[in-house]
Amino acid sequence: MRNRPRLRLRPRIRYVSPRFQGPAVLAFAAIVATGGAIFWKLVDGAFQRVFLHASIRGHYPFDSSYDIVRDLLARHLAGLFVGVFLSGSVLVLLIVAVTRFGIGKAVDSLRASAEGDLSTPTGSTPVGEIGRFGGKIDSARSHTLASVLKIRSEAAALASGGISPEEFRLRWDELKHRIRRIAP
Amino acid sequence: MSGPKSAVDGPLIQRRYVFGLLLRLCINFAGGVGILFVILYFALSRPLPGDYAGVFHALRNLSLFLQPILAVSVLAYALLACGSTSALCVYILHKVAGPLYRMELILDQYRSGATTQTVSFRNDDQIQPLAHAFNLWIGTLRHDRQRWLATMKDAERHCLQDEGTCRAKMEEALRKLEKDMARYH
Repeated sequence: MRNRPRLRLRPRIRYVSPRFQGPAVLAFAAIVATGGAIFWKLVDGAFQRVFLHASIRGHYPFDSSYDIVRDLLARHLAGLFVGVFLSGSVLVLLIVAVTRFGIGKAVDSLRASAEGDLSTPTGSTPVGEIGRFGGKIDSARSHTLASVLKIRSEAAALASGGISPEEFRLRWDELKHRIRRIAP
Repeated sequence: MSGPKSAVDGPLIQRRYVFGLLLRLCINFAGGVGILFVILYFALSRPLPGDYAGVFHALRNLSLFLQPILAVSVLAYALLACGSTSALCVYILHKVAGPLYRMELILDQYRSGATTQTVSFRNDDQIQPLAHAFNLWIGTLRHDRQRWLATMKDAERHCLQDEGTCRAKMEEALRKLEKDMARYH
């Protein structure tokens, strides 16, 4: 029997997260649609004027209507491209800035957690997916803090004495069990 | 808590990734405008009639047909550009959305009390420092947990001696634990 090489398991990462990608897709679609609408309005007005003017001029040195509006069309198409691309670029930079800020705050909060600070809020952007993610991190941190504080108060109560040996042993074992449940 | 210090472990979002996204967006929009040009070119490049009256009427009538021609061509442009930009967004942004989704799952698992594994993203994924920071936190917690359990086990070893010594050592261990846990606030 042939020995098959063991496949290395990759972490499963989903490609589509509508909560994060959805608003970005809608924003880009809005930019394209707005650009198209403005282009339509401007070109329609300009072409109407140009064709009317060309028809009453009485001298027709062109083979097709395209020859009349060639430069005008090129200018408007260039304007459409520049407008949509610049708006799209600003949106990309905005998304990157918001992501950098929000995730940067989440990274800082996790680093602070490693140093024992589990109570200071993450403080990422309050809106959108990044804000929700910051809330999840805060929730995990406060869950850990609650566990640690519970264990700590139980340890203090046990250390203070005045408990029967049987009860002490039971609570000692329970305390060990609780400690084992931290970051399993 | 100080400001973002993510630069210590490398950038959250690489500059190359941002430039790649802008470049693809540029090509995408240029393609859309190119398609719009082709549609309008074919609509407007029909030869005009040879005689004077024919040209005059063709140009006057063109004004009537201009709006539907433009409407159809702009609609085709908008649909194509929106479709391709959406596909591009999904393809590019999954390098941020994917790791975020994965981290959310792990945080949910952590909260539910399930065994938490260390997080690793794919090589070309963005926001890598997030995984490192999470692993650092979980690693520190596990290290502390082991130390606390070791302190308790150490105290239990004295139970082989007399009851009084055992209890005293256990209480001493508990006080040590309480002091050690005080760093968490």
